[in-house]
Amino acid sequence: MSGIRKLMQRYQQERKSALIAFIMALMPNEELCLDCIKALEQGGCDLLELGIPFTDPLADGEVIERFHHRGIKQGLNLKRGLEFAGRVSQVCRLPLILFSYYNPLYRTGLDRFMAEARAAGIEGLIVPDLSLDELPVLKGSQLDVIPMLAPSSSEDRIQLAAEQQAAFIYCVSVRGVTGMRKLPEQEIKEYLQRVKTFTSTPLALGFGISSRQQIEVFQNHADAVVVGSYLARIIEEYESQPRLLPGQMEKAIKELTRSREGYYGSV
Amino acid sequence: MYPDTKGYYGGYGGRFVPETLIPALREIELAYGKILADPGFSEELDYYLKNYVGRESPLYFARRLSREAGSARIYLKREDLNHTGSHKINNTLGQALLAQRMGKERLIAETGAGQHGVATATAAAVLGMKCTVYMGALDMQRQRLNVFRMQMLGAEVKAVHKGSQTLKDATNEAFRDFIQSFEYSHMLIGSVVGPHPYPMIVRNFQSVIGRELKEQFKQEEGRLPSCILACVGGGSNAMGIFYPFLEEPVELIGVEAGGRSDRAGEHCATLSRGGDGILHGALSRLLQDENGQIRDTHSIAAGLDYPGVGPEHACLRASGRVKYVSVNDDEAVNAFLKLSQYEGIIPALESAHAVAYALKTAPGLPPGTSLVINISGRGDKDTEEVLRYLEARREVQ
Repeated sequence: MSGIRKLMQRYQQERKSALIAFIMALMPNEELCLDCIKALEQGGCDLLELGIPFTDPLADGEVIERFHHRGIKQGLNLKRGLEFAGRVSQVCRLPLILFSYYNPLYRTGLDRFMAEARAAGIEGLIVPDLSLDELPVLKGSQLDVIPMLAPSSSEDRIQLAAEQQAAFIYCVSVRGVTGMRKLPEQEIKEYLQRVKTFTSTPLALGFGISSRQQIEVFQNHADAVVVGSYLARIIEEYESQPRLLPGQMEKAIKELTRSREGYYGSV
Repeated sequence: MYPDTKGYYGGYGGRFVPETLIPALREIELAYGKILADPGFSEELDYYLKNYVGRESPLYFARRLSREAGSARIYLKREDLNHTGSHKINNTLGQALLAQRMGKERLIAETGAGQHGVATATAAAVLGMKCTVYMGALDMQRQRLNVFRMQMLGAEVKAVHKGSQTLKDATNEAFRDFIQSFEYSHMLIGSVVGPHPYPMIVRNFQSVIGRELKEQFKQEEGRLPSCILACVGGGSNAMGIFYPFLEEPVELIGVEAGGRSDRAGEHCATLSRGGDGILHGALSRLLQDENGQIRDTHSIAAGLDYPGVGPEHACLRASGRVKYVSVNDDEAVNAFLKLSQYEGIIPALESAHAVAYALKTAPGLPPGTSLVINISGRGDKDTEEVLRYLEARREVQ
């Protein structure tokens, strides 16, 4: 069983939420990115989602989008992202999920990409522009391919996601793109509940999560939460003071994971 | 007949979008299926096409241009005479009426040259809908007139300052809006691109061009034309005029923008020089680098300045049914001037690409050959751009 599967099942049994951190590979630069990742691990993050910049990231909101465009300007691509993933797996023990739009994978060639990703220590894969209809192209990949669902997903889509028997299902919190926002709590709880009536696959909730309070609200309903834009904003704020940045990342993760310690009890 | 039930044209097409959008696409597919079976819909659309757009558009025999070009008989399908000045209105009225039947109150559009934006803003105005148009900041500079037109028509024009600041990025932004707002908005894609069912719907609404041409040409010469030419950016005017002729013995030529040179980033000849890839919801041909990043493109015609192309064109290229060629900025500008001065018709720079290739091939054709060029739009919007180009060219010489 893969590291991702084991971890998600453990959290599911404990009825707590694992913390998945999204960070764009090699940003703002290679060494600082590596230091940030070490800090995330130190802070108590459970899984790392490593992003690959793409010229046309249409599922991403403003903050993450800026990182895509900056990455492209710096000449980043899938090849360099995979090399970096190899370095990451040598210095940290977090299971790695690669986040990439489909065209770079397609262009590289799926077989070659899968082999290189495995060699770099990557265990999971999220492709935001592959809907459940096109997801079968990644079959037989030996990576944990993570299907996505949205609040708008109908029953047959939820069933289709369930049939993938994935390590977890990524449930997008809102009809929208990535980015911090106020979330409609009751609606999201009902949506996660609806998904659970069709599958026992662990569920991760992502898009718009940026505070401990939010995590506490959802921790009995989601087996993991994904934090991305919030961390990206911290990087933007502190990248001009590179010595402070890793410490800030660690602090942010510690604060987010404090919810697990039950300071506020379970809801 | 293409597409298949999953939206594929041979190996191209499909639905490469975030799962969030799937319900929106299914809703459109379902609603489109309903209107196909509803004679009331086509009656309503036909009413607008006739009385509002001014269809049918004339087929005009270009006597002086033909004589100048050689022995072929050159005809022009005058989509430039449509209300709003291009073929785009055929599709925007169709989709806007469809959106109304789906209960949507707002239209979202992406635009390059602004022709599709104007046509969407117009459809929104006449049907009483709200309208937001996304346009690259760079395109807004070079197509100022169309920005004003959209604003006059009551549309909100949103400048996109991201990435290459052209059509590709405007399209990304329109998709982001649509992902958030599809409960009350319809994304009115302007070309035969995007996820299924868009390429099919746009083709079908535009194929009125080819259907009319078939009738008109029969009356004119009692047969089929030898060859039909159309410019290809995303490819909607070409798909519209080609589609009714796919099974007929007629040569079909799509003309892409060769831009400044063959170097990467200086043209947008997607079918001639691109490779397979995925952008904006479909697997098609693409201009990309070896890492799968989408390349910047250039054409003097903003409406062709796009790194992708409709999946059905990719399929027609693969099967060899349609021949795809390219002409460069210089040839397009020369054709723009020639058509203006020989026939008194100022074509859009996009359409001028098709004219340029027709003028290139005409001299070698046997007498009696008949060419039809789709004049997809009129060139008022391009006069400033052409003047700038001519001044720069004079300075170089």
